[in-house]
Amino acid sequence: MTSICFYFQVHQPMRLNKFSVFSENVPYFNEARNKEIFERVARKCYLPTNKIMLGLIDELGKDFKISYSMTGVFAEQCEKYSPETVESFKNLADTGNVEFLSETYYHSLAALFSEREFRDQVEKHQELINDYFGQKPKVFRNTEAMYSNHISELVESMGYKGIITEGHDYYLKWRSPNYLYKPPGNSKLKILLRNYKLSDDIGFRFSARWWEEYPLTAEKYASWLSKCEGNLINIFIDYETFGEHQWQDTGIFEFLRKMPHDVLKYDYLEFVTPSEVVDKYEPVGEFDVPHILSWADVQRDTSAWLENDMQRAAFEEMAKLEGKIDDKELLHTWRLLQTSDHFYYMCTKWFADGDVHKYFNPYDSPYDAFINYMNILQDVKKKVTSGNNEG
Amino acid sequence: MFFMPKKPPKMYLEGVELIGVDYVGKMRRIVHRRGPVVGPYPEHVVGPYISQIGPYYNPNTRVLEYRIASSEHPDTVEVEDLVKENYGWDLFNEVMRYNQKCVKIARKESFDVIHCHDWITVQAGIELKKAKKRPLVFTVHSTEYDRTASIYPMDWIIDVEKRGIDEADVIITVSNYMKQQLIDRYNADEKKIVVIYNGIDLEKYANAEKMIGKKNILFLGRLTNQKGAYFFLHAAKIVLEKEKDVSFIIVGKGDQMPELINLAIELGIHDKVRFTGYIPEEQIPLAYAHCNAYVMPSITEPFGITALEAMATGTPLIVSKNAGVSETVKHCFKVDFWDTYEMANKIVSILRYPVLEKVMGENSKKEVVSFGWDKVAEQTLSTYGRFA
Repeated sequence: MTSICFYFQVHQPMRLNKFSVFSENVPYFNEARNKEIFERVARKCYLPTNKIMLGLIDELGKDFKISYSMTGVFAEQCEKYSPETVESFKNLADTGNVEFLSETYYHSLAALFSEREFRDQVEKHQELINDYFGQKPKVFRNTEAMYSNHISELVESMGYKGIITEGHDYYLKWRSPNYLYKPPGNSKLKILLRNYKLSDDIGFRFSARWWEEYPLTAEKYASWLSKCEGNLINIFIDYETFGEHQWQDTGIFEFLRKMPHDVLKYDYLEFVTPSEVVDKYEPVGEFDVPHILSWADVQRDTSAWLENDMQRAAFEEMAKLEGKIDDKELLHTWRLLQTSDHFYYMCTKWFADGDVHKYFNPYDSPYDAFINYMNILQDVKKKVTSGNNEG
Repeated sequence: MFFMPKKPPKMYLEGVELIGVDYVGKMRRIVHRRGPVVGPYPEHVVGPYISQIGPYYNPNTRVLEYRIASSEHPDTVEVEDLVKENYGWDLFNEVMRYNQKCVKIARKESFDVIHCHDWITVQAGIELKKAKKRPLVFTVHSTEYDRTASIYPMDWIIDVEKRGIDEADVIITVSNYMKQQLIDRYNADEKKIVVIYNGIDLEKYANAEKMIGKKNILFLGRLTNQKGAYFFLHAAKIVLEKEKDVSFIIVGKGDQMPELINLAIELGIHDKVRFTGYIPEEQIPLAYAHCNAYVMPSITEPFGITALEAMATGTPLIVSKNAGVSETVKHCFKVDFWDTYEMANKIVSILRYPVLEKVMGENSKKEVVSFGWDKVAEQTLSTYGRFA
């Protein structure tokens, strides 16, 4: 049997308001814009895709299983701007075929600066998943699949059985991502590695006309899965792939509707959830990652968020406020400022080429992103020091 | 063969024949008087006459320096020299004479392509095109609307430009912004227009040594409506509400200088503003390098080479969205020239977060490497190739 594990990342950042050095009493978050974007993506992606997933579960019953990790930042906006999307995710959970994973509530890089902050945010997310879906996740996935030996220890110490990350060639070397791995040493944690080729075939290349495999049909994709070596194929992609990154007119929804049927035509293929994977399989080897990896870009490291000095300066300034904020609301604001997207907008790596990153960037330039973030952070700092901060 | 109003004495280029149309022995002295604006202006003698067609400055003019005496006496302004007019007294006739002379010399020569730059030379080009049956390439660096910021443009100059645009076989513009202007205002044939961005002499700027621990913000350009120094001063006023210890340096000269000095006084920021007047070309890289940011708030700007110069020195650039250069460079701030609050926001941020200067500076240095003159030459040559 070859197990196929589909997992989708569901996230929307809270975009910031324009905040200049002269701004006073301006709200930090851009309600209007966040609402507009959320409603659009709900209409184009979340609602229609959830409907398809529910339909597939209806048709295929216990044979079709999927999993999600949904950020707290997403959930907060979802309740506010699209309650019907919350309902449809709850309906999915109710089927029993859908698993929700753990992560940091704020889609943050907390693991990179504070163990305590990381635990707090993961616990907050656990509460959310329990409240919404009545589930207690056994498998963890860190923001942007960021992973290292150190992070694995942290996650294991919190009681998780498994963790999801990128099947990075550099650390896999000659080995296949299509097996379970474990961290070096005595760790019992099981590592699910993303098969980036098969994941990106849907996430990035689905509608790429330059691609020799274009157009990608459900049948073709199922046949690729059927020919894979190993016992476990992890397809991890952004949920917004369906209808937002790949628009409806690319045929992505038809693909999604048909593909699980075509997969199940092979009697040795099955769909599983991450917690089933960790129960079912044993690790075949060690995945030793001394430095942090992620699932982003060609480099697959932290450079999309923390490469240039602006990003690092902003991150350090933010981190310095740890433990200094007593006011509950201000603490929440500070944590919302930890969302990785804010640092991603400051990335200068590909800026001159005007590529895909631009599509997701609400700023004119990474420099504008930096200024805006810093101005808001200074304002938060002012509140912290001026005593507008009592619990 | 290259015709110019006057030939710089030390200029020799391999493979290029430079012809100065100014071989006039006679020297004239012009006494130029201006009514007092802030303080009394003395009568002044401005340079020996060579040719009146030196567009923006005459290297024979002495260095200008305006200094505001002190904050205690804001009304006294020491003026050491005067703004020189951009053009001569009788520009129309001067240009006519120059063009006639060009035609007279060139008629006897043989050549494949006629290439004129801006309206001053294009009349000769049109005449030669007809006489010698050779294709005419017309580079428009700026139009009369640009140079005057559309305030009292001279109709007869616009007419000359229009004729050049109509008669040219190929028009080269320095930006898409300019291309659109020629289409909109001069009804130019879009198919004739090729955009070739300006370049800079990278080596001159790349090695200018950055000053550490400074707090200076730079404006550099002709002091005319077009360049928007007015908005620079208003932004300065706003910046100074947040950051006290900053100097605003205004390099360049022009008709607007007295008005700008007055404005600085009116805004109460005259002790924070320094007017340096004209500075020699070799000092320009240092002017950038001694400042935390270069602001180019042009109301209109066909291209804006100085933006590239600043970037080449690694100085953060805040450029008007109306400048052609802003359609092609990325590692800078782009603002609306009238949005002085946003301009000030960016200036204060650059001063407060020094890491910006580092990251933007490094990236802009890398970015301008693709703006060498060799690339411009290549593109120009391939444009000539159309007629081969």
